[in-house]
Amino acid sequence: MSDEKKTGCYICKGCGIGERLNTSQMATIAEREARANIVREHDFLCSAEGVAMIQNDIDNEGVNHIAIVACSRRAKTEAFNFDGVAISRGNIREGVIWVRPDTDEAQETTQEMAEDYTRMAVFEVNAMNVPKPSGEAEGQTNILIVGGGLSGMTAAIEASKAGYKCTIVEKSGALGGHAAQAWKRIPQHAPYKDPEDTGIDEMIAAIEADPNIEVCLNSRVTRTSGAPGRFSADISTESGDTKTENFGAIIQASGYTDHDVSHIDKLGYGNADVITQAELEALAREANGGPIKRPSDGKEVANVVFIQCAGQRSDEEGHLPYCSGHCCLTSIKQAMYFKDQNPDIDTTILYDDLRTPGAGGEDFYRSGQDKQVIFTKGAVNQISSSGNGAKVNFKDRILDEDVEIEADLVVLATGMVPNSGVNIDEVPQDEPGQFEVSVDSILNLTYRQGKDVPQLKYGFSDSHFICFPYETRRTGIYTAGPVRRPMDDQQAIEDATGAALKAIQAAENAQLGRAAHPRSGDLSYPSFRREGCTQCKRCTVECPFGAIDEDEERYPKFNEGRCRRCGTCMGACPVRVISFENYSVDTIGQQIKNIDIPDEFDEKPRILVLACENDAYPALDMAGMAGVEYSAFARVIPVRCLGSTNLIWVTDALNSGYDGCVLMGCQKGENYQCHFVKGSEMAHYRMSKVDDTLQSLSLEPERVATYEVAITDIERAPQLINDMAETIERIGMSPFKF
Amino acid sequence: MSNMNTAMIEKYRNNFLKEVEANVEEGEWVKMCMQCGVCSGSCPLGPYWDHPPQEIFMMIRAGKREEVLSSSSMWMCTSCYNCIARCPRGLPITHIMHGLAHYADRLGLAPKEQPTRKFAKHFWDNLTKKGRVNELKLGLKLYFMNGFGEGIKTAMKMKDVGLGMWKSKRLSIGELWGGHSIKDTKGLHAILNKAREIEEAKAKKFEG
Amino acid sequence: MSEIVASNETILVVGGGISGMTAALEAAECGKQVILLEKTPALGGRVSQLYRYFPKLCHPTCGLEINLRRVKANPNLRVLTMAEVTAVSGDAGNYSVKVRISPRYVNENCTACGECEKAVEAEFDDEFNYGLGKRKGAYLPHKMAFPQRYVIDPAIIGTADADKAKEACKYGAIDLDMQEQEIELTVGAIIWATGWRPYDAARIQPYGYDRIANVITSVEFERMADPYGPTGGKLLRPSDGKEAKDIAFIQCAGSRDRNHLKHCSRICCMASLKQSTYVTEKHGEDGKATIYYIDIRAIDRIDDFYRKVKENPNVSFIKSKVANIVEDKETGNPVLRGVDTEGYHRYENPHDLVVLAVGMEPSVPADAFPVDVEINEEGFIEASPDNGAVFAAGCSSDALDVNRAVQSATASALRAIQVINRAAGTEG
Repeated sequence: MSDEKKTGCYICKGCGIGERLNTSQMATIAEREARANIVREHDFLCSAEGVAMIQNDIDNEGVNHIAIVACSRRAKTEAFNFDGVAISRGNIREGVIWVRPDTDEAQETTQEMAEDYTRMAVFEVNAMNVPKPSGEAEGQTNILIVGGGLSGMTAAIEASKAGYKCTIVEKSGALGGHAAQAWKRIPQHAPYKDPEDTGIDEMIAAIEADPNIEVCLNSRVTRTSGAPGRFSADISTESGDTKTENFGAIIQASGYTDHDVSHIDKLGYGNADVITQAELEALAREANGGPIKRPSDGKEVANVVFIQCAGQRSDEEGHLPYCSGHCCLTSIKQAMYFKDQNPDIDTTILYDDLRTPGAGGEDFYRSGQDKQVIFTKGAVNQISSSGNGAKVNFKDRILDEDVEIEADLVVLATGMVPNSGVNIDEVPQDEPGQFEVSVDSILNLTYRQGKDVPQLKYGFSDSHFICFPYETRRTGIYTAGPVRRPMDDQQAIEDATGAALKAIQAAENAQLGRAAHPRSGDLSYPSFRREGCTQCKRCTVECPFGAIDEDEERYPKFNEGRCRRCGTCMGACPVRVISFENYSVDTIGQQIKNIDIPDEFDEKPRILVLACENDAYPALDMAGMAGVEYSAFARVIPVRCLGSTNLIWVTDALNSGYDGCVLMGCQKGENYQCHFVKGSEMAHYRMSKVDDTLQSLSLEPERVATYEVAITDIERAPQLINDMAETIERIGMSPFKF
Repeated sequence: MSNMNTAMIEKYRNNFLKEVEANVEEGEWVKMCMQCGVCSGSCPLGPYWDHPPQEIFMMIRAGKREEVLSSSSMWMCTSCYNCIARCPRGLPITHIMHGLAHYADRLGLAPKEQPTRKFAKHFWDNLTKKGRVNELKLGLKLYFMNGFGEGIKTAMKMKDVGLGMWKSKRLSIGELWGGHSIKDTKGLHAILNKAREIEEAKAKKFEG
Repeated sequence: MSEIVASNETILVVGGGISGMTAALEAAECGKQVILLEKTPALGGRVSQLYRYFPKLCHPTCGLEINLRRVKANPNLRVLTMAEVTAVSGDAGNYSVKVRISPRYVNENCTACGECEKAVEAEFDDEFNYGLGKRKGAYLPHKMAFPQRYVIDPAIIGTADADKAKEACKYGAIDLDMQEQEIELTVGAIIWATGWRPYDAARIQPYGYDRIANVITSVEFERMADPYGPTGGKLLRPSDGKEAKDIAFIQCAGSRDRNHLKHCSRICCMASLKQSTYVTEKHGEDGKATIYYIDIRAIDRIDDFYRKVKENPNVSFIKSKVANIVEDKETGNPVLRGVDTEGYHRYENPHDLVVLAVGMEPSVPADAFPVDVEINEEGFIEASPDNGAVFAAGCSSDALDVNRAVQSATASALRAIQVINRAAGTEG
């Protein structure tokens, strides 16, 4: 294929398009105005015949830029899928005939709509290039696993089974983490009746025997740089030796720390015979199947009380605001340590809500009851020393009375605090180019935006998305286990296995230049025109994924592998030097500039609608499917993320005679729905400043409106467009029509 | 306090749950209750119980021995089996209630004036005498259970029912003298004596 | 369908709900060849029928859109709908799978223009709305259905309606002679993601689901809350179509119960907490929700959602498994009877509407699995070396919420890849 650009425009007449619209007029426009080299109409473009017609032009006519003017880009994607060419879609079905009434009065404006979408499709594709990966990846597929506990070990074993080499960096002197400190684990297989051996020794043995897995004990990661497919990490031992290794992806399984409840007076943790779940594990290991003895005087425990949610599930000072998920099952398991050894030992579990979900959970709860563990719904008033063990004063919620019971031992379910390193939102960032190792940091990333993975809530570096638990804000770095979310052993194993898959996937795709979720497989990536850059740093600061660093000369350094292709940098750039091959200030700008703007006195306003392709655009599509109508004056352009919206598009539109602009992004803020985390928020922020521009143009501020739109806003999204049409009717047409 | 009761307190010290498990029919199920309350809600006589089943189970676990055993609650059970049908944990609640009642009675802790208990006793005595229930005697016993005055009142209130039964030959005045019986009353008494022997031997074990 | 090429390096995913789609996509995005089978005419499964997710209250169709875009963009992934596995033979690394494909009567020419739907008259209960509304005999399962292709209900085949549909289609997309097909696939590993179904509420006799009009299930309530659902987003009483403002939620309707489902279905507490926000969303201060529960299982980080709901004075919590429901004939109100176990308070509470938080039952009954795997008492697949290269994903493995199901699906994708890579001889 020659490098010469040759554009084909293909107009479909099916699905009623031919009956509703004058497609030959559209074809003429494509040819004469938009200068498409080949223009063809077809009765049924997505049919095998229609597709073959296009393929034939690609193969024999040298067409390499294709504008398909038919249904929405969301429909018939499989049919209109041509390799090696740039493709744009003009949406005249869902976006035109389905949102307009089939009446004589409406015909003229509906036709104009379709003609504009034809122009837009051709001008867009002409401004596009076929993306090619930069080739920056270095062939690395080894996986760095930070943390050698259950999650880290699982990730290593599972990745190795798939044929990938791994390095585990563990800060302590042994593998196993918390799980290795446990006497037994919660059962993971039917019939879910008895505590099981932890299996940690077997895992350690498997790792030691596995040539795919390297283990670095007493070590920390003191520097991490690069991107998926080409990470570089310094691994330093306590004695000060440092080695540098390269990796394709990273799993951060840095685990948790037991919540310190010593400052919560009512829990009485200062008493010798009031201990945590972790401390009980140590006692049980010491007992080695024999009687467990209380710490104060070594007396064999005859009576033990477990306190659930100790210092958890409360907004009170010093409490964890969440439930740690595993503690109910853990206490049942620990009560069984006593019961299995001697059924005459009294064991009471004091709970608020007993949380033993699923099949295994409920079976294990029943098994606990069957072994005569007593479950009491109650709330602790005060735990204190009785002189001989401890006493627990509590409110029995069933019998509705305050009770005091004495026990040889009280065990507190204190919960998990994630080891998530530096909270990068709270500490100042390093100066670019300068980098100090922080002992608090887990990864010591040399990223412009901070040393560690961003935290979501309560210190957990979880995903914000329910459908996408492995969504990460640092591409190629996956957190796994209790650092991500509170969880029990079994979930940690699942989580780590899933994280291993994501790490493998990230490393493999980085080699091919493919983007990670949600634009999986996208080969485009941002580049910038160095000579135009003013080093304002907006792109490096605003990138939701910390993908952009600054080089020694303070120019942005894009890291393709870390980039998620949302275009927030492109939207941020005040001098518009950032672009993607197939998505740029120009691909959108050309569409905006090349529609037909009727004369002011025609009373046909034009409304630019920039709609996020993830939610707002599908909502408008479905409006079409549902027969919801909206103004014929709207021209809708999908954007990768509203964050990619550059202010120039809005000012250009207003300058060239558009009467209004409607911007539709996803929900922002704490419960953000923006798939690119901050994109919608950044767009809203930028547009909040648009008033100055409008003022300088002497235009009313109402002419630009920015909204949060959900995919379910099938009626609201059209309504927002209609609202703008009404606003324009009220305030009048733009004076900028030429 | 009966000897047996003292013995039991001694034996189980604080652990009433264990005592129930060992001595009450189906008592080993008590620990399986998860306090959902569906038994208490499903019981047609629930509103008349001081402590409905689910609460009794919690009281047993909390060691409220006196309160449970001297309670009139389990005597309220009419064996409708609603609770058993509904219990999500499969507890044989009806049987446990009767088991508790029986155990309380054996220990001498059952409330003396509890009418169900009193009636049960009359019924038993009436039945075991001849192997058949003597309706007339049982009816009169029931009416006069709470004293002469009330007995007359109840008898007057029920006179139409009685008359009806007499007319349809379901009730005979002759029953007051002797009354009908099974063929082999001796055999029946032998069976009952044997059963009593076994029970007493069991109880002796605890007391011994 | 004979063009489906598969080999022992192919991964078969059974079930096109969120777990199956995830497993298939994650494996395909690792460069593996994947075939995804779905029994119904469209991907998406149960989550596509949800109005919102807990705890974020975001819309599941949002994630579905992303996943469908991933499906459309991935050449490694082939989707077969209306397809069911009938038999599996062979061993890890080399399975032979028989698949039955039911006729859709609509081929790939379909443009989803909707003319056939307009032409036919017969109406059927709409499965997507759990029967709360009707759909035509030619229909698109829902607005985001993928493949975006209509379906002809087999019940209209041979009727005049079928001919009308065929006539209405200008694209030759309707093929009334389409027959059921059997195909055989060779695959290296199988991911089993057939998910769950709501427990049959009518079997919980004292709650009168089959007798009392205003007793409905949580999945039905979810469709009601959807502005594009059968009631246009209004919370209506089936008895009289009046708006329900005082709504009771009964937890463990079928779950944690030896008479029904032995296990805890995990999601129902959070689902009812979520649905209590619908009551406030629709009615503001006038809306009242009462949640009857045994334990509120708002597990882990999302416990804060529970605490947030508790702050709403219009939502109350009663620790009680409701004993029974009777209908007040005059008002149509269901009256709930039971005992508040916290301190033993008897109640007899009338509500406008009762929502049974029905449990999750594995879709495939234990005795109907076409593949030899270890199944536990609850009907879920147990991870076991005896399962060969058949890996459960999502709710086939346990009662899971969406987040955990996707986690499980992602893990299962790696387990399948391990087998495939061994088969391909590429392992370390």
